[in-house]
Amino acid sequence: MNNFGVIEVASTKTKNAPGWAYVPDVGPSPSAAALQPANRKRARNQTALSLSDLSARQDAKIRKELEALDRDIHKDAAIPIPTKGGGASRSQKHTPNVRKISQSQKTFANHLDDYQALLALAETNPAAAAALMNTAPLPKPATAAAASSSSARNSNSPAPTSSSGGDKGASGGGGTPSTSKRSAAMAKRAALATANEKKKAAAAAAKAKAEAEEAARATTSADQDVEMTDAPGSSTEEGLVGGVETSAGSGSSQQQHGIAAAAPEEQPKLQPTPPPPQMYPPDGTILPPYKRAPPLPHEGDNDPLLVSYVPSFPTDDELRALFTAPPLSYLEARAAWGEEESRYPSRSFCDVCGYWGRVRCLKCGVRTCALACLNTHKEECVTRYGL
Amino acid sequence: MRPDVMVGTSDAASSVDVRRTLVLDNGGDTIKAGFVTSTTDTSLEKPRVIPNYIVRDRHKKVYVASEFDKCKDFSEIGYRHPVEKGYIVNWEAQKEIWDREFFNDNAPQPCDPSETRLILTEQPNALPQLQTHCDQIVFELYGFSSYYRGICPTFNAYHDVQAIFQTPRDVGTRVNLPAQILLLIDSGYSHTTVTPILAGRPLQSAIRRLDIGGRILTNRLTRLLSERHFDMRHEPYVVNEMKEKACYASLDFKSDLEKTWKGTQGEHRPDYVSGGGIAKDYILPDSHTRFHGIVQDYEPSRVAQAKKGGISNEDIVTLRNERFAVPELLFNPSDIKLRQPGIPGVVMQSLSALPLGLWGGFLANIVVVGGNTLFEGFAKRLEDELTLLVPSACRVRVARPTDPITNTWEGAANFAKHEHANKLAVTKAEYDEYGSGWVARKLAAGLGVPNNGTAKAAEEGQAGPS
Repeated sequence: MNNFGVIEVASTKTKNAPGWAYVPDVGPSPSAAALQPANRKRARNQTALSLSDLSARQDAKIRKELEALDRDIHKDAAIPIPTKGGGASRSQKHTPNVRKISQSQKTFANHLDDYQALLALAETNPAAAAALMNTAPLPKPATAAAASSSSARNSNSPAPTSSSGGDKGASGGGGTPSTSKRSAAMAKRAALATANEKKKAAAAAAKAKAEAEEAARATTSADQDVEMTDAPGSSTEEGLVGGVETSAGSGSSQQQHGIAAAAPEEQPKLQPTPPPPQMYPPDGTILPPYKRAPPLPHEGDNDPLLVSYVPSFPTDDELRALFTAPPLSYLEARAAWGEEESRYPSRSFCDVCGYWGRVRCLKCGVRTCALACLNTHKEECVTRYGL
Repeated sequence: MRPDVMVGTSDAASSVDVRRTLVLDNGGDTIKAGFVTSTTDTSLEKPRVIPNYIVRDRHKKVYVASEFDKCKDFSEIGYRHPVEKGYIVNWEAQKEIWDREFFNDNAPQPCDPSETRLILTEQPNALPQLQTHCDQIVFELYGFSSYYRGICPTFNAYHDVQAIFQTPRDVGTRVNLPAQILLLIDSGYSHTTVTPILAGRPLQSAIRRLDIGGRILTNRLTRLLSERHFDMRHEPYVVNEMKEKACYASLDFKSDLEKTWKGTQGEHRPDYVSGGGIAKDYILPDSHTRFHGIVQDYEPSRVAQAKKGGISNEDIVTLRNERFAVPELLFNPSDIKLRQPGIPGVVMQSLSALPLGLWGGFLANIVVVGGNTLFEGFAKRLEDELTLLVPSACRVRVARPTDPITNTWEGAANFAKHEHANKLAVTKAEYDEYGSGWVARKLAAGLGVPNNGTAKAAEEGQAGPS
């Protein structure tokens, strides 16, 4: 066969696609799959290109379901404000700000998008960021805020000048962010930076925690921390005793377990006096110091097997950083899906009755518990996917 | 509040400030509102709980906020909420509700803003733009004489927290506000937040949020019922009532689920037939004689009779695993494929942002507030799951105040009488002088770092008879 001198090199296997070009066969193609469905049983897999595409489709479905769960059942905007008998008695001249706010039809999603865009702008525009760094200090304790009021007045261009057009401002809300908006964004970025540091510190703390779990024997920690509540006297004693019971009952440390079994009533006395570097608070001035008499000495105090691990109390610097940290942004504060949660597969339930989902429908992949529910499901499934 | 305990307030502060304070806990579903003066006994005072929505019933009649009491027919109700995701977004609607409740001539709680201080709650991690809107409305539209906007969880520290835990202590102990250490879990209509509070100051970097609240739970129950029983998609009020009356947090999910399983084809499991102590009959309102649903114990014969259509024409829904599968979402959001940890996991994430030395104190003082905590077994379930997650030396205590819905308001009322309120509030003159940016910064700064002076004073009060 004369093929006009064209020699194929790329692949060994080729296939005629609709039209005229030779294409290497690297997997199911959407056009071919649509023409010739290979597997009629698993209807859900028909249009999928690959595994990742399938999961993207499923992701979209899940997201849609979650959004449906999260919204009001009736459309909000469908209900107008009743005109009579309302707040008309306060009909006065509104300031431009008030007019703008009350005429705004933005939803929370709009505001959130605006805010995220603002953060992104502050990150990509270093010149503006540098200018903002000078004018927008981090939120400080009240006294500092008062001191910085003069600079605040300069940096803060109030809305009346920028939105003197009145209603125009309401429609184009995300257009030109005022300086005050950006300064807020800068504060947020600073917050982000500190938060990242915090996260690193937290990771270190988590590492320390693993060691702590190994070493944690007695409950001097509970003792110390309970002291911080504002219930003095017997509450501390109570917490102490309870804590000891907990740790002894868990039997996590064999050494103490034997003693606890032998003489449980002696437990409160067993508390070793905490070593001096771990006194609460170490040398802090922020929180009230511990002034009560230390626990009675006991002959087991210096026993290396009974010595307790107490996590050191945070220093003043750490506490000060915690107290003055600016708030996280809305999205940062959302609890994330961590390693701990993704370790186990999520539970799946029967689509019909809510019991464990143990059987998959061949066609659509929905899970059901057993034959009875599967048959119920199939009636519905047939209408969607055919036989 | 226990009678043998005195709550400390600053005498100097109370003599300076004799004005009225409007304390407003503007929740996603209900507003908790009430007035506080320096002479108010906040332990007796209860707020008025006002619906924070505009409602339209099936006859197209519209009810705003507390007018909803007059509504008798709850079927096919539509809602309009000014609060979205916990934050006031739609001021047009919020203004209408506030006007009718507080500022009109015939308002149920009349208020003259120019002579009143406003204490308003907001959810943590709000968007700055929305906060600015709020400040502008408060000063430019209403003109309150002074104002403080603080995050909800913090106000809960202005309580005698150890009384909630029923910690035994000496008679006559003087309680200092705010509480020294507290981990507050607020599970409300819009979402659930975890906030560590130390010496009355929220530790902002450790606040975490779970995007599951009462609204999602109601919608979830709606979906389950619509798939299994009747189409309830247009009856949010009825379903919400059903959720509040019949759902509970399961302490043993696996065995409860086992008891409610129908079994495979042709099987008659005894637990299923008898109801297993879990199944309940819920009698739906018929909008003629009965306007509220009724929960009754499961009776197999009743449904059979109803099916025959003879004796009883009541609409009965038999609730089985719906009763506990819905609150279960708070503990396992992955059940609806939401990729977030449950409340215990969120608590752990919040703690992991804090030094290890503070863990013990926070874990021993966990208070849960908000409407979702009213589910039976909620606090116990949380305590059980947390105990499994934390180091064994830590003691976990979870307590729920007697009224978790108004607890934030009561705390805010205590706050209004506390010297901190005077320290933190912003006056209208300051707003006019410095502008909204300054106000936002001052409110965000909060109390700052506690200094040694207050610490010493607190310690002296705390030492008590020892």
